[in-house]
Amino acid sequence: MNWNMILYTVLNTAFVLLFAPLLVSLIKKVKAMCQGRRGTPLLQTYFQLFKLFKKEIIYSDNSSFIMRISPYLNIAFLLVASIFIPIVFIPAQESGFGNIILFLYLMVCARFFMALSGLDAGSTFGGMGSSREMTIASIIEPTTLMACAAIAFILKTTNIPEMFGTVLDGSILQYPTLFLVPSSLFIILIVETARVPVDNPETHLELTMVHEAMILEQSGPKLALMELSYGIKQLILMALLINILFPWGMATDATAAGILISIASFIVKALILAVVMGVFESFFAKIRFFRLPDFFMIAFFLSFATIVFELLS
Amino acid sequence: MRTTGKTSRRIALFIMLSGLACITTTALICFFSGTDCNLLLYALTPELLFNIHLDRLAAFFTALIGLVAFCCVIYSLNYIEHGGSEKGRHILTALLPLFILSMIMVVASDNMFGFLFFWEIMSISSFFLVMYNREKVETQKAGIFYFVMTQFSTLFLFIAFLLIYRYTGTFDIGYTEALPQVVKSFAFMALVIGFGTKAGLIPFHKWLPYAHSAAPSNISALMSGVMLKVAIYGLCRFAFDVLQPELWWGFVLLAFGTVSAVLGVIYALKEHDLKKLLAYHSIENIGIIVIGLGLYVIFNHYGLQTAANLSMVGALFHTLNHAVFKSLLFMTAGSVVQATGTRNIEEMGGLVKKMPVTAILFLIGSCAISALPPLNGFASEIMIFQAYLGSFELNNPVVEIVMVIGLAAFALMSALAAACFVKAFGIVFLAKPRSREAGKATEVSLGMLAGPAILALTCVVLGVFSFQIIKGIGFDLPVPNMLPVSILLLLIILVFAGLLKLFHVPVRTGETWGCGIQKQTPVMEYTATGFSEPIVTIFRLIFRTKKSNDKEYFDSAESITKRTEAKITTFKFFEERIYMPLANFFMKLAAFISQKHNKDVETFILYAFVTIVLLLVTAGLWL
Repeated sequence: MNWNMILYTVLNTAFVLLFAPLLVSLIKKVKAMCQGRRGTPLLQTYFQLFKLFKKEIIYSDNSSFIMRISPYLNIAFLLVASIFIPIVFIPAQESGFGNIILFLYLMVCARFFMALSGLDAGSTFGGMGSSREMTIASIIEPTTLMACAAIAFILKTTNIPEMFGTVLDGSILQYPTLFLVPSSLFIILIVETARVPVDNPETHLELTMVHEAMILEQSGPKLALMELSYGIKQLILMALLINILFPWGMATDATAAGILISIASFIVKALILAVVMGVFESFFAKIRFFRLPDFFMIAFFLSFATIVFELLS
Repeated sequence: MRTTGKTSRRIALFIMLSGLACITTTALICFFSGTDCNLLLYALTPELLFNIHLDRLAAFFTALIGLVAFCCVIYSLNYIEHGGSEKGRHILTALLPLFILSMIMVVASDNMFGFLFFWEIMSISSFFLVMYNREKVETQKAGIFYFVMTQFSTLFLFIAFLLIYRYTGTFDIGYTEALPQVVKSFAFMALVIGFGTKAGLIPFHKWLPYAHSAAPSNISALMSGVMLKVAIYGLCRFAFDVLQPELWWGFVLLAFGTVSAVLGVIYALKEHDLKKLLAYHSIENIGIIVIGLGLYVIFNHYGLQTAANLSMVGALFHTLNHAVFKSLLFMTAGSVVQATGTRNIEEMGGLVKKMPVTAILFLIGSCAISALPPLNGFASEIMIFQAYLGSFELNNPVVEIVMVIGLAAFALMSALAAACFVKAFGIVFLAKPRSREAGKATEVSLGMLAGPAILALTCVVLGVFSFQIIKGIGFDLPVPNMLPVSILLLLIILVFAGLLKLFHVPVRTGETWGCGIQKQTPVMEYTATGFSEPIVTIFRLIFRTKKSNDKEYFDSAESITKRTEAKITTFKFFEERIYMPLANFFMKLAAFISQKHNKDVETFILYAFVTIVLLLVTAGLWL
């Protein structure tokens, strides 16, 4: 690891940690406004995390070490995954970082432990959440992989920073098939961040009992870690979508001006995407659980079509 | 008497341990130095030899067998002493080395005669080991099933070997050019069926869940971890080394592999017998290995050397990884079964507090098999993924689209495996005990922890250092270096744990929140059936799930229920459509023939005699 890489790691991680909660509140705000409410302040998620960090931790009598370690594992896996998605600048090649399959599987890891912690307390809520989460996961993962394979086939690389670099160097018009990818990536983003129409991030009640039900037994700083890792996951998936499609403004080397411009331009793009997500969520109703595969199939076939077009062109 | 029996068994097992340590070391030296090891043991005739030839492939498999068997013997030190009669334990101790040795000799043999000879010893010794609890009806059924299938496998190997002998005139295992195209294809198909049956490829897989669940757990670990790999070795040796592969073989292997991988894990999801669940996962993982072999043939044909190497090394690396984590899982499952006295996961639960070390070991195995980075299962699966993603260089749209479909199936399989192991670990170890036996379980003794612990450590090492290991054995492949990722993971965990420690966050325990219920009982917990129900419903086409809900009422307005019957049934496609009809056909045929003559011993001896004479005459004419 050279200094450039260390600088990148520190900056990128710090940016992800600081910026992720803002997007969570922004989407909430947009949804509230769509519903005609004023909504919470934009910094609410930060306040909430801060408050949770000051509270005590309550574990269930039934729970084991899984409950205790899973928040750490969750945030660790997602933070490492966030290093795979360059935001501040595109670092030089480093073996071990940037492989798209490894990136996806780091997120699978986080999900695996979250689902286990859902079963740990022996509550029906958690069990139902884990069961549904793993069901959704098992049908969305082939879809995600298909979308990533489509990108890899078009850009002829499996390394994420290289992908961003390729699109940045050329123009997206060189890769017309790439225009089909965002819609599947957007569906994946909605599913992975547990949003309507798949799940509802506001509640853990019966119809939506997925993500929120799994973390129901977490409390205090541990819950804060879970909330924070949720924010990170959302941010890095948004960043993947944004930087594949609109990487303009991103710096390719570590100059202060370049980094500032990439951060500023990313923030603008991310805010726009967050507004789109909030509006999208407001216009949809929850889909029945067993109808979800149909929804995922749209993303699957779009990715599949992308690959077929790419192969035939 | 009891203690002396135990002591003699201990001594026998320790001798086995030292022997296995020697064999593993020799094989490792052969593997890393690249020098072949040759030895002629005994020549029956100049043609029929028992000789040893360890090249890198054979040395790799020998080391694999040695490592897993070593840990398994450590586990057996304590495991053998539980259950069974004194005589039974002696027999188990006696058959164990025979089984292990025969597997090593199959791999090491350099002569088809020796290969088949030890192959048969392996089959028969494992049959007796499966029959260990022979008084149970279930075991008898499993044993007979296994015996028939294993002979079925040998039959096809005979056909393949005789075909090769017919055209080369030698039983030596070596490259053969002399085979005509058609014969080569026939030999290949016979090899796929023969080795596929032993390895558990769908549709020849049905013996696997029965035999693995009936056998003692140390034997299941060996069978699943090692014996299936011997079949993979055979496939590698004969299909790729002796016969030169053709393009369509790659597609055959890819199809068999993909079907086995996906169906294996889908069947595992609805299985609630812990050992059967693991057995179905063996089918899945054998599928992954065969996918790798198939990809190798395809990429090799199109001259994509990197992708071909990725898939071959991936397949072999996964062979090793599966051997390690699957035997780890079978051993820890054996400990759980022994502690709770049941194999049904619905009756377990809460074991993480009763058996903490076993739980951690099982968790490591579960993470490895679910392909979670940075463990070894992921390290080999990513190679297959990378190989698949490398297929854009093929310049053949049809093949590429086949590859893309294969890739999607592979991702589906991998995701379902993770779901299945969340279920397995969650239901077996977490929450409250679901039965009285599970509540009374205690941690197993040291030997039964030490064996799996070595394997768990191997899982971590093979995963974290996978990049360095692959480089160390001389392959430069585009796989990510897992070491920096692992270091960062550990660092972040330590930072956050340290932060929480630093601020002295107060901790207390309380009841699980249950919307105001008085007292939480295990009945309220999520069950394994409930957990996998959504997936079973989504894949109802494969399970042929039928849900029925019959109600009878007292009154015409249908408001007071008299009787309710709710059922979810799944259809065992292979058993009900393929195996049973075939078995029934042979049963009818046998019944028909036995009606036609008087059934005394002399007649049967006559039949056997006539058959042998006929065989000898045909063999003499043909060979």
